[in-house]
Amino acid sequence: MAPSAIYESATPSGRNSPKPPPKKIWNISEPPFAGARPVDSSGYQKSSTGTAIVIDNGSSAVRAGWSFDQAPRLSIPPFMARYRDRKLNRTFMFAGSDIYSDGTARGQAKNIYEPGSNIVNNWDVMEGVLDYIFIKMGIEGSNGGINRPVVMTEPVANLGYARKTMSEILFECYGATSVAYGIDSLFSYKQNKGKTGLVVSSSYTSSHLIPVIDSKPILTHATRLNWGRFQSAEYLLKLLKLKYPSFPGKISDPQAEALVREHCYISQDYETEISNFLDWTGLEDRDHIIQHPFTEQVVVQKSEEELARQAEKRKENGRRLQEQAAKMRLDKLIRKEQDLSYYKELQEKIALTSKKEARRMLESDDFDDESQLDKKVKELEKSIRKARKQDVGDVEEPEEAPVFPLLEIPDETLDEEGLKQKRQQRLMKSNYDARQRAKAEKEREKAKAAEEERLDNEKRENNLDGWVEERRVARQAAIQKIRERERLKADLGNRKSLANQMRMKSIANLASDNPSKKRRRGGDDDNFGADDADWGVYRTIATGEQSDDEEEEDLNVTLKNIEAQLLKYDPNFTEESTREAQMDWTKSLIHAFLRGPWPYNPESAREEHQIHLNVERIRVPEVVFQPSMAGLDQAGIVEIASGIINERLAESPHQQDILKDIFLTGGNVLFQGFEERLKNELRATLPSEASLHVRTAQDPILDAWRGAAKWASEPSSKTAFITRAEFLEKGGDYLKEHEYSNTLS
Amino acid sequence: MAPLTQASDDGSHQALLDQLDIYAIPKPFRNPHWKPPQRRNKNVKQIIADVSRKEASVLASQNNSGTSTPAIQSTGGNTPTANGAHLHPNIEHAAQSLDRLVLERNLAAATGGSVLPTGPTVTYTNIESAPSFHPSSQKRYCDITGLPAPYTHPKSRLRYHNMEVFGMIQSMGQGTAEQYLAARGAHTVLK
Repeated sequence: MAPSAIYESATPSGRNSPKPPPKKIWNISEPPFAGARPVDSSGYQKSSTGTAIVIDNGSSAVRAGWSFDQAPRLSIPPFMARYRDRKLNRTFMFAGSDIYSDGTARGQAKNIYEPGSNIVNNWDVMEGVLDYIFIKMGIEGSNGGINRPVVMTEPVANLGYARKTMSEILFECYGATSVAYGIDSLFSYKQNKGKTGLVVSSSYTSSHLIPVIDSKPILTHATRLNWGRFQSAEYLLKLLKLKYPSFPGKISDPQAEALVREHCYISQDYETEISNFLDWTGLEDRDHIIQHPFTEQVVVQKSEEELARQAEKRKENGRRLQEQAAKMRLDKLIRKEQDLSYYKELQEKIALTSKKEARRMLESDDFDDESQLDKKVKELEKSIRKARKQDVGDVEEPEEAPVFPLLEIPDETLDEEGLKQKRQQRLMKSNYDARQRAKAEKEREKAKAAEEERLDNEKRENNLDGWVEERRVARQAAIQKIRERERLKADLGNRKSLANQMRMKSIANLASDNPSKKRRRGGDDDNFGADDADWGVYRTIATGEQSDDEEEEDLNVTLKNIEAQLLKYDPNFTEESTREAQMDWTKSLIHAFLRGPWPYNPESAREEHQIHLNVERIRVPEVVFQPSMAGLDQAGIVEIASGIINERLAESPHQQDILKDIFLTGGNVLFQGFEERLKNELRATLPSEASLHVRTAQDPILDAWRGAAKWASEPSSKTAFITRAEFLEKGGDYLKEHEYSNTLS
Repeated sequence: MAPLTQASDDGSHQALLDQLDIYAIPKPFRNPHWKPPQRRNKNVKQIIADVSRKEASVLASQNNSGTSTPAIQSTGGNTPTANGAHLHPNIEHAAQSLDRLVLERNLAAATGGSVLPTGPTVTYTNIESAPSFHPSSQKRYCDITGLPAPYTHPKSRLRYHNMEVFGMIQSMGQGTAEQYLAARGAHTVLK
């Protein structure tokens, strides 16, 4: 086989160059508490009973003002919190951004809208928000009602029930003199002086496309895509939860929305950009770090001096202990020497005195006979010698081989005592022999290793290429083994894998009481353990943490050695081509995805609380163009637009006029690059000669309110209001159609 | 409960709450006799179910003559249609609802022959965008990293970008794969 096929040739794919520390770290923004809002009754003073209150009842914010205002006076998130504080025994009610002022209020806050839809479904909250608006607009209500007309926006094809309930509230609870409903995006189109065109409104909970011809909306061709910024934020949260499953912090919905708003943008060429998004070059700019608040674990940094002092103290302690031990040993030694001299004296005395006297003397010192005394003396001598050697530092005389004279003498000639001693000597001899054998073995091995090394060096000097080749093969084999082990480990995770089934078989074999057939033939003993390798079975069945750390360690050490040798002698093998470099985190796509182009230290609380937004920055807003990405089974915004223009309105004489004015409005079109992307993609679906013009509303967020206010102050709109009498006569479902309204179904 | 504002001490926070609270503020513009109907909060699903029940009963009266039904367009130009044939209403179909045709003609005459398209009324449900048929909706992206995904993990059905991501999928705990699928709406729902 060609060498290049055996091992990965030394590719230049080593570690990537390190990056400078991140330039900017973003923080997670707290939800906006606007502060207490004063009552502004100047508008009310200025208004007459004919001046309409204009309310853009949006799902991201409810905006309200007088029809003569240039901009809405109030813009509040559609929330209300009402709860009873049992300690104070009173009920609190907060609306709009005031709910962010208090933890309980935030916890109790409810949305006007059904989450993720553009239909109002919590009418108590709706009333609370309207209360707030009317209070802050300074409405006196001297005759038990607001006593003003109301213009209210509603979603395209609003549900009859929602409109009916809204009318009931406005007329019966608030005493509005008349009410008109209109579609927000059409009002925005009016504000931007559109006559004929396609209104593309991508807002908070949904996106709508409505063709308009001669200021008349063609609602039969209107289309809704159930995706807006709310869903984007939800999607981002979902992705982040999967990306950082053990993230210690919590990201709230408004915070996720802020993240989407601040960091996401529409890619002009999604396919290409996403493919290269995690590339090493430039990743430091594409990767945005969001720092979640955290508390640093305080590690007390000890000063140099303090550390030195501590070390000194430790040393001092050690010295004292050593001294004590030495002293104790010396005491012991002295005592032993005294004993020895006493016993020696005793020996001499015994030799001189009579047997009886000697016996008495021995007994008084707890000895049975003379031999015991001898033994004692010998023992003492030995231990003194040893202690001297250790403590006083006497030079060790070379240990001579011990002699075992009794072993030569036949048993018959020995008495009982002699036999005992012989047995002891035999034991000692075999002990000594074994030690000698082991020593010799060690020597031999050392010599062998030296010889091998010499041969290896010789080989390398004579034939470097061949040697390198051999080493590379060895390295490859080691890598292969490591991989195999990894695969086996992964396989064991799968219950049905072959590896796991083999394991189960071994477990069953080990646990079974009745011996297998083979064993029965061979007799009772299954000689398990006769071979040391038999015990390996326990290693193969053990899973989990420590199962084969040892072996793995061995393999890694082997690989490291081979690589070290290669690094030393193979000019083609560089630091870059070691396995460690190739497995380096800078090469890891997952690492780039999770932690950007910077190293990650799991110990650091700061880094643990960081979120890296990279692919999400274009992945999240892309859903409007490719809803299937997020599991939404609907066509994307461009496909809908081209469907309306090229198919549904193919026969219309206004088709070309519509193409000249594709109008974008709503908060979700504020993403950088939205207009350009829509233009480019829509362009691609049109005949080449068609002229296309795409524009964005001057203020995609507030123009709906402004258009509605403008419309309300026009005298021509007066006929489009439903009066109180009409409401009473025709019921809550009743709707007067006008050029910015829904159609009555 | 922990105050979230800068006014962190209890007294000033309570003062702020008192200032913000609109419960105690008199609301003279509200009708004091207003009693909201019971159970007026309905979710969208409920409302739509009610509407569709109602719709089903009136559907018969909404049949149109077929004249205003947009004919199939030859957008690609690859499939030649009989010249001009599609401009005329389908006689056969119109004949089925002649009464409707007459009604519509009368209506058109009354409104001065305007070309306002009629057809099924616009409802919340029928303006929803249809599923995509465009080939671009067949694009596959890695469920983990979002990068283009040429492969599918056979066991978990997760789409993945490369070998490294594959390794990650292999080592995933139970249920994690299903969560990834849920983000794409491809998870298994047991009913």
